[in-house]
Parts: sequence; structure tokens; C-alpha cells
Amino acid sequence: MKTAAMSKLEALLETRRLNHTLLRPWLAAAPARTVSSGVAPLDAVLAGGWRLGEVSEVVGAASSGRTCLAVAALAASTAGGRLAALVDTTDRFDPGVAADAGADLTRLLWVRGPAMSPGAARPAMVDRAVRQAVRACDLIVRAGGFSVVVLDLADVPSRRLRLLPHPTWMRLARAIEGQPTACLVIAPTALGRSARGVTVQVSAAPRWQGTSAQSRRLAALEITARFQTAHAVVQSVDLESGGLQNQAALRTPAPSDHRTIGPNRIIGP
Amino acid sequence: MTCGRTAVVFDARGLARVFGTPHEIVAEVRRMAATDGLFVRATVAGTQSAAWLLAHASTDRSVIDPGGEAAALSPLPLSLLKTLSGLCQARPAPGPPGRARRAPLRAHGRHYRLAPGPPCRALSGDEGPGTDEVLAILVRWGLSTLGALAALPRAEIRTRLGVAGVRLHAAACGEDAEPLVPADEPPTFEERLELEWPIDGLEPLSFVLARQFESLSARLERADRGAVCLRTRLGLVTGDTHERTLTLPAPMREARVLRTLVLLDLESHPPPAAIDVVTIRIDVAPGRIDQGSLLDRTGLVPEDISTLMARLGALAGETRVGAPVVVDSHDARRLALVPFRPGPIPRADRPELAGREPSVSIGIAYTMRRFRLPVVVRVAVERGTPVRVDTGSGGLAGGRVVSAAGPWRTSGAWWSRAGAAWDRDEWDVAVEAGPCYRLTRDRATGRWEVEGLVD
Repeated sequence: MKTAAMSKLEALLETRRLNHTLLRPWLAAAPARTVSSGVAPLDAVLAGGWRLGEVSEVVGAASSGRTCLAVAALAASTAGGRLAALVDTTDRFDPGVAADAGADLTRLLWVRGPAMSPGAARPAMVDRAVRQAVRACDLIVRAGGFSVVVLDLADVPSRRLRLLPHPTWMRLARAIEGQPTACLVIAPTALGRSARGVTVQVSAAPRWQGTSAQSRRLAALEITARFQTAHAVVQSVDLESGGLQNQAALRTPAPSDHRTIGPNRIIGP
Repeated sequence: MTCGRTAVVFDARGLARVFGTPHEIVAEVRRMAATDGLFVRATVAGTQSAAWLLAHASTDRSVIDPGGEAAALSPLPLSLLKTLSGLCQARPAPGPPGRARRAPLRAHGRHYRLAPGPPCRALSGDEGPGTDEVLAILVRWGLSTLGALAALPRAEIRTRLGVAGVRLHAAACGEDAEPLVPADEPPTFEERLELEWPIDGLEPLSFVLARQFESLSARLERADRGAVCLRTRLGLVTGDTHERTLTLPAPMREARVLRTLVLLDLESHPPPAAIDVVTIRIDVAPGRIDQGSLLDRTGLVPEDISTLMARLGALAGETRVGAPVVVDSHDARRLALVPFRPGPIPRADRPELAGREPSVSIGIAYTMRRFRLPVVVRVAVERGTPVRVDTGSGGLAGGRVVSAAGPWRTSGAWWSRAGAAWDRDEWDVAVEAGPCYRLTRDRATGRWEVEGLVD
């Protein structure tokens, strides 16, 4: 039975539009509106995909498969005829990979930040780029109409990200609340997902094919993901061999058609 | 309505209250023409055909009272009907229904156009003999005056001479095939405001623009037009002008959107001095009609996309926002952006309407985070294979290479100008610290670079 203090607290949260942070069994059981992540095992774990109206995160170290998940979400969204946006803070996006994955690039809005060499950019320049990217993400989210918005902060050092004022993420969560948009933040560490968002911690190991250096090729990244939400326990899933469904989702051939092995020369257009 | 270079037809209704009787109107027209050094024949009649024929006849009569056209034209020679071709030629060619904006014809400060009706060519030539042939036939019949032609029964004329004969018969009776109706002045959408005090900065300018665009938007709505091009001309206190042209992807007329677009454009390209004259000119196109559907997803309308693009352009730079394009080249470093103009959103399926979309499986083995500014590194090579990567003090982790694949050799553009050619060996390597890189070695200089990070 609820006490008067608890009722008062809930009323106060409702006044501040923070009642969605309450842990209520009937709310936790209600199906959330989602958009496919483009990876079937991930969709299975996330009960359909990335939640609409929420800010979710994909965090991990370099070469952990963060960009893979982001590009998969963008490709799935645009291939289905919806609009998607990528705020590329440090200008790292490779359109060719997205096109190979089936993305409709005409439906992808790409906001390119300043080109920066990793580790060589001045801190002030990085801070300015981050602020600009967050502002661009906020504008896109508020404009509405986009199914997935990816904010790529993967190459921004964690210490620079920690300098962002904390209300930044709360404002972003408030802006996206109720909208049919899933916001995905790619970062080296967890920053600030929204109350019903999910944090996916990824790690990966490269899988090589071939025996010698000349015949070997990088076949795929074997990604393992850990999930964390406000209402669920942390679980770890191997996206390749997690025993969920469609285990070969990330096992497609590497996009190396444009290259040749050995002495053959490729002449440009 | 101007007819050729020698005749003008205008509607004189209502001029009686200004000038007086029809004779006084004629006198006033002659006086005004004489002021400009012109000697003119002016006539007033109840129909344009009667006035036209009377003006071209050698007679002193200048006014035909309403209802007396046939009697007044009766003694005039039949050859006068040849002059009707000049009246016909003044009519514009027929266009698609509801779309043709007839060319406005100025007369006495007003504009007139001919009411929609059968085109002259169809009357004169398509369904029978032409006007000249009909006149020749009439002359052979022994007719010499308009009155003689008017006395013939029209049905018989129609049977023997076709539509052209009927038209000449109607003209001989003083009847019009098509009435004159006034045409609206072609609207121009321009607002000019001279400021009492010069303004400096965009914030005060926004109030001025709001006022101008509200007026323009109302006029666009009345005319069912949308703006497709905004031309902003700012007169500066230095005497110079600052001009900006903004092309819109779709016709739009919402004042707030147009003002925001101009302000964002001026934010990116501010005027160099204070402003004292603001002129907004809009190029228009027919209005856009969007019909929503309960079964389709609601997407971004062009106004929202334009505003978003302008805001992002002002934030990140116009050249840094758009839709990516895969360039037709084997050089993976090349890329391009095009304006973001997505097509219509396809119809939603039932699962999507229910808020739960089907799971989609996208096959991606790995992606590459490309460094637009490649990082120069030192690479130790043993037996042709990289064994160690030294990234220096940069933000990349280096160390011993635990696995490597390559080289893949790419080259191209050697036929083009210097600087565009490339000739590289590429390696995919995994270093001990964990990251996987794509290394390139320039075959001309031997320089090693990290082109991207596998992620």
C-alpha cells in the first residue's frame, strides 16, 4: 500500500515529467515501440530493437563493433523507407560500407563534423566539435520524422565527454521523449541514456580467414554484447554464437570486392 | 487589348461618369493621343466587332448606340471583314485548360484578356474554307455591303460556308463571338522597406523580415502560389548592397519558415555593414497540395527539411550536411555529399502501424572508421609483413602486430593531373593492444599511414 509520502513523491515526479523513471511492474511489462536494430540477435534481446522515444547507448573500446551496430541500425531503417540521421562528430563514416549493407543513402542525413586526426586535435577543437554534434543531434531530434538518429562520439576521449554538462543528456532525453525516433549514442564509455533506454557494452575479437599473410583476410568481428537497462538485469550475449536466432547475422562476407589480392592492379574510374 | 501595332480595344464601360457621353469619351481619347503626337480614329460601340469595323471604315461616324450595331454597319463595304483578322491575331493561342495565363494586354492603364472561347483558327480554317475564301465566295454571290450579308439567314450560311462564314455573318451583324473580360495584373511578390534608422545585427532584422514575410505570405496564399526562390537585397549604409538568393526545394509560403530560412542564410553570410533598406523578392510556382493519409506514415514536409538543413548548415557548414553518395571510384578515400532531399515515405505495413516493426537482419562483417586525415605511423616490416606499428604520441594504440592480412594493391587516376593519382598497398592488421587498423603504404614515397579503424 502506497504511503502518503510515496504518493506525494510520485505526484512531484509527474509534475516534473519524470514519472517515467518510476519502476512499475505494469509499465515494465508493457511492450515498447521499437525500431529494428538490423541485427536479429540484438532485436531478440531488445524485444524488437531500439526503443523509440529513448536515448540508448552503444559503448566499447576501439574495434569493438560499435560502428557495426550503428551502421546496421541506419541501414535497416533506411532500407525500410524511413529516414535516418548520422551526426558524425569526428567525420569517420564510410558511405561505401553502409551502401554495401543495403542502406538507402538518399534517406540518410549525414552531418559531418570537422575532420580530426585521432589524438592530434587540440582539446578546444574537440570540445567545440562535441558541442556542435550534440546541438545538431538535438536539432534533428526536435525536427522529428527520423526513425533513427545516431550520435557518433566514439573517437572522442572520455575525459572530453565528461566535461559536457550533465543536463545535456537530460535535455536530449526530454527532446526525444514521445517521438517516434530512436537515438543511439556511440561512445567509448556510458554517458547518459534515457530512463527507458538501454546501454549496450560491446567487445569484439577479429576473425581471420586464411593461413598466410597473403591469403589471409579479415572475415568479421565477433561481437559480444552486455545489456543494461533501468528495469532489467545485466545480461551478456554473444551476437554470433549466443544461441538466440539468426546466428549468422554478422557472418556475411567482408566487403572487399573492390580490392584484389596480389600483383593485380585496379585502375580507377 | 493591343491588336497588332496600330489598334487598341478597351472596355469603356463606366467612363461615362468620368468623361460624359460616348462622343465626349471619343474626344478625350483623341485628345490624349494627340498629346502623345498620335492621330487616331476612335469609335465607341456596344460590341468590339462593331467598334472595330467602324474604326476601320472611312466614315465620320464614331459612336454606335447599343442595339444599333447592325443598322450602323449595314452600309459599310464587305471588304472591311478582312480587317477582322487583326482582331483574331490579338487572341492568344489556346493552352491547357485552367493553366494558361493569357498574356496581359494593356490599354488605358487597365489589363484585358479575351474570355475563353473557340480559337480563331478553328473558326476560320479548320472546318471549312478560310476567311479570304469565304469573302471571295460572298463577292461572287454579288454581295458588296455588310448589310447584304447580315440579311442572309445564318443557318444557310453555316450550311454553305461553315464556321468561318458564320463568324463573318455575326461580325456583319455587329455581334461578338467572344466578350472582353479584364485580366488581373500579373502579381509580383516583392516587399521593400526603407528603415528610418539603420539596423545592425540579425535580431532587429528578424522583426523587419517577419513583417515583410507576413504580407508576402498572405499574398502568396491569395494567389495560390508558393515561394521557390527567395531573393534578399539589403541596402547598406555604405551605399553597397548585400544580395542573397535562396533556392527552396519545394514551393512553400509559411511566413515563419521563410523568415527563418532567410535569417539562417544571413547568419552564415552576414552583411558587412548596417542595413537601411530591406527588399525581399520571391519567385513563385503554383502551390503544392499535399493530401495526408491515415495509412501512410507522416514524414517531414519540405518546409521542415529546408528549415532543418538551414539550421544544420548554419551550425556545421553548408558543405558538411547532406546525403552521402558512393563515388564511382576504387579510391576509398573519395566521397561526396548531395543535398538531402528524400522521396516520399512508402506506405506502412500493419506491424508498423501497431508500433512494432519486423526484425531486419543487415549483414555487416565489420565497418571501417575512416580517418579523413590519415595518421602517419612507423611500421616495422619483416619478410614483407608488418610486425610492429609505432603510432608515436597520437591517440592510437600501437604495438606488436598479432595478425596481418595483405597487401591489397590499389592504384588509379595516374592519367589525371598530379596529386589525384594514388598507388597504395593496404594491410589489415590487429595490434596487441586490441584495435584493428587498415594500414596503407604509399608505393611512391614508402610512407605508412593508418587509413582507418576496423570497428
